[in-house]
Amino acid sequence: MSTRDLVLSALFAAIIVALGLLPPISLGVIPVPITAQSLGVMMAGVVLGGKRGALAALIVVLLVAIGLPVLSGGRGGLAVFAAPTAGFLIGWIFAALVTGYMSELLVKPEQSSISQGIGFFIASVAGGVVVLYAFGIAYLALAAHIDLSKAFFGSLAFVPGDVVKAVVAALVGRAVMAGYPLLPQRG
Amino acid sequence: MQSLYVDADSWMHRASPRLKLGSLAVLGVALFATTDLRILAVTLLAGGVLYLNVGMTWREALRRLQPVLLTIAFVTLFSLLFNPWHEAAVTVFRLVTLTLFAATLTATTTIAAFVDEITWAATPLERIGLVKAADIGLTVGLVVRFVPEIVGRYAAIREAHEARGLKIRLRTVLVPLVILTLRDADNIAAAIDARGIRRH
Repeated sequence: MSTRDLVLSALFAAIIVALGLLPPISLGVIPVPITAQSLGVMMAGVVLGGKRGALAALIVVLLVAIGLPVLSGGRGGLAVFAAPTAGFLIGWIFAALVTGYMSELLVKPEQSSISQGIGFFIASVAGGVVVLYAFGIAYLALAAHIDLSKAFFGSLAFVPGDVVKAVVAALVGRAVMAGYPLLPQRG
Repeated sequence: MQSLYVDADSWMHRASPRLKLGSLAVLGVALFATTDLRILAVTLLAGGVLYLNVGMTWREALRRLQPVLLTIAFVTLFSLLFNPWHEAAVTVFRLVTLTLFAATLTATTTIAAFVDEITWAATPLERIGLVKAADIGLTVGLVVRFVPEIVGRYAAIREAHEARGLKIRLRTVLVPLVILTLRDADNIAAAIDARGIRRH
């Protein structure tokens, strides 16, 4: 892996960590402030692509494991992996991977702004919602000893917030592609 | 950013990290293998005793676990709607025990020790050519080094918004934050290569 790729992933991991340290920001459209850390994971995918985005998320998971309080609220350490929501943390790696690879496939610099936005949105939902929740719900059902269907319906309440984050990630992805494109092209 | 390691001297601090991690893994499997509430209660008590003797005040120790314990409580209540109370109790005992032992491990193992263990564990991957084990320590160092800078950059962007009388919106803050941060990547990579840090 080139030094540049490693540094890009590490810097984005640092962005994800920094987003956890910041107080919740309001979106403008919705009056409820949201925590931006999981948004950072989707952004890693749309900005850096599949491999580097997943690596950024992996680095954050690693930092949590070794005992740094990098998750929003100052959470960290191995105790986080003992929680029933640990699947949503480990799922970040695969969410960024899917979001990244789909962005590489769907979005091209030559497309119109709107097409890029839609492409990034689809990629963000596929990774940041579908794949992430798959991991989160599966582990939740396993660790908490509940039915998959119950775990599924119990988690549904959080989906709208994450769809909104996918919209923001898409807008950010589009703007970064215009200003400082880093997304590898594929397909 | 302060690590979650608690600087004290106990037999747990002196135990080998490899041994501790291995024991935690074995414990995890064992906890899910039994449904006997008495065994689980004993392990829970053991975990509690260990964790509260790590070198922190009890208040600090519990404060650290608050988010995780809240999540466990919430999920257990949710599962009580569908499962008999015995199952819910087993789940609570398991998860809290695991949490206590995991938190004990985190509090008694330094970051350097963790990085050493992960680097050692990554050496087989290095043989297949997937990663360079030494990169792991470098990467952790890089992130820790740059988080304060990014937080500072966010503060600057926020001040710039306020100076222009703009409301702070995610979209208008995140884009400059991401671009400005990633633009440094080339310089940083050049500095790393110039020092031959990755010259394995």
